[in-house]
Order: sequence, then structure tokens, then C-alpha cells
Amino acid sequence: MKRGRDLQPALSDEELVAASLDGSQAAFGTLVRRYQRRLTAFLGQLVGDIEVARELSQETFIRAWGALDRFDPQYRFSTWLFRIAHNLGIDQLRRRRLHTVSLVRQDAEGEEVELAVIDASKDPLGHFENRELAEAMRVAIGALRSEYRELVLLRHFAGLSYQDIAELKGMPLGTVKNKLFRAHSVLRRALQEYL
Amino acid sequence: MGREGRIVVQADCRDIQERLVEAAGDTGGLSAAEQSHLAACATCRAVAGAELGLGRLLERAVPPADPEVVEQVMVAVAPLRVRRLLAVWLPVAASLMLALLGVAMVGGVPGGSLLAQLPVVSSQAWLYLADAVSDWGVAMSAAAGAARLAMPPAILIAAVVAAIVGLVLIVAATRRWQPVARWHRSG
Repeated sequence: MKRGRDLQPALSDEELVAASLDGSQAAFGTLVRRYQRRLTAFLGQLVGDIEVARELSQETFIRAWGALDRFDPQYRFSTWLFRIAHNLGIDQLRRRRLHTVSLVRQDAEGEEVELAVIDASKDPLGHFENRELAEAMRVAIGALRSEYRELVLLRHFAGLSYQDIAELKGMPLGTVKNKLFRAHSVLRRALQEYL
Repeated sequence: MGREGRIVVQADCRDIQERLVEAAGDTGGLSAAEQSHLAACATCRAVAGAELGLGRLLERAVPPADPEVVEQVMVAVAPLRVRRLLAVWLPVAASLMLALLGVAMVGGVPGGSLLAQLPVVSSQAWLYLADAVSDWGVAMSAAAGAARLAMPPAILIAAVVAAIVGLVLIVAATRRWQPVARWHRSG
């Protein structure tokens, strides 16, 4: 079995998948190194816990390896990988919903407020030195409508192109552009003092 | 500027701002016409500046690479590779073993006598074939009976176990062959 660090960093995803299917574990390792950072970032924002995101990103790669021979090369490897990750993330959220109580409470005036969970070790933005900025970003991203938020995560945390997002979500490209345009307008307003 | 003119300008702004959002505020990819619009439009210039800042901010929000995750994945996939190879080759090996056992039990491949009677146009040939298959079934049954008497029970048990393991692995491999689910709904 071939092992080793990034032996084929210049190869395309599709070439690396083909090499992995031929038994090169080093080729799969290159794919893992290529996507680990983005995958963990995406999952961290999706599930709100960087530790869980690390576990889920491992699980994503392991599942991808197990199903590599079913990967259809007419699609991009990245969209396939993030689809697996997204499905794992959603399953995780559903399981968590079954085992936890809501953090949404009513304040004295009857308004719904979400109780903040402050655990820096689990915060997906825990690597930020500026905690105030991290909190502002958490609130700004969290306040987006779910359909916008999902596209922002795919674009900026997963690092996917508009075309990839359209393919992955089964949306027309124009819809992706329109939604991301609106999402960015909201984010610019929310974070204007940091821009 | 008339009403139509205002609409054109707004549409231009919208198009250019969409492109600025996509390019994270980078104006380098804009056409000459878009660049001149940008030079004249303070709103679009403000969006370009804000998008540049937002792009940097969102990039910083991506945590650094985690070599530990990579290491753990690579450790985890190594045995999976062996398991996948076994899942593919064990059923094949079991089938081959059974076939060889069968051949050994009946004393060789039936060969020409049966193959010579493969279907041709006449109905008579089909009758010959049915006859031969029937003879073949009788021969198999007799050979299996003889084998039960002549072969050591350990070999027969091994053959049955190999057949069951092969079947289980084929079923397991087939179950794994389901396509990866489509994008789950977030709601």
C-alpha cells in the first residue's frame, strides 16, 4: 500500500479519486488534506460545535473512502464530499434536537431570546483573537434566514463556487446569485463596523 | 434622468454589485464599461469596499488546518481498504471453490456432449437439449449422493460454510451499493 504525504498536490480531484480507486492511499490523503480545513469550517458553522465538526469531518472522509467506487465522475468530487458532510451534519442536528432542550426563552417582555452557549473550546470561531468580532460574526451569520445561511456556509466556509452550489442544491445559478447577493447585503449591514 | 433611465442605472448597479459579491469585492474582473460605472457610482464603490472587507472577515472565520484530523482519517481508512478488497474477492473465491468442488465431485467438466447440443433452429435440437439437461441433473444428483458417501464430511461442511459466507458477503456488498442520499433538507 502506498503511503506518504502530499505526493500529488498538483493533480486534480478526479485524478486523485482515480488513483485512490487504484489503491493509492497517498492520493486519498492528498484529497483529505485538500478539503479537511474547509470541511471542518463548514460543519463547525452547521452544527455550532467545532469538536463535533472535527468528528463529523473524519466521518465524512471515511464514508467518502468507503463509497469512492460509487462516486460518479460526471459530478465534482467537492460537491459530492460536501453533500455527504451536509447530510451528516443535518443528521447530527436532528439527533441533538431529540436529546436537548430549547435554549430559546421568553424575556420579561415576552420576546423570544436565545440563550448563548459560551464554551470557547467548542466555538467554531474560537480561533479568533478578537472575541467581540467573533461574537458579532456568530450573531450575524446566525441571524440570516436559513436558506441564505446555508448558501453563505457553502460559499465562504466550504469554499464552493456559485456553479458548484447550484449543482449541489439543484437550484438555477441565477437563484444562487440572487440569494447570496441578499445574504451579503444583510451581512454587510450587520458587520459594517468591522469592514 | 427619466424614469426608464433610472431603471437602467439601478439594473446596472444590481448587476455590478452581484459581480462584486461573487468576486469578494475584487474589481479586476469587471469590464471597461463596468469599471467606468464604478468610477461614477459611489454606491457601487462602497459595496466593493465593504465586500473586500467582508471577504477577508469570512476567510478569517475558516479555522486553520487540523493535521490531527487528517492523521486519524488515514489511520481509519487503512483497514477499510482491506475490508473492501475482502468484500469483493471473498465471494469470488467462495464461488470458485464451490465450482471446483462440483467439478471434482462429478469427475470433470461435461464438455462437448452437452455443448454440441446447444440450441439450433430445429425443435428437435431443443428436445435433445432438454434431454441432456435432464440427464445432467440426474448425473449431478447421483454424483452428490456419491460424494456424500465418499467425501470427508469436513470438506462438505467447508463447502457449505463457504457458500453461506459468499452469499452473506454478496448481500452485504449489494446493500452497500446504494447511492449516497441526496441533499438533506435543513428544516
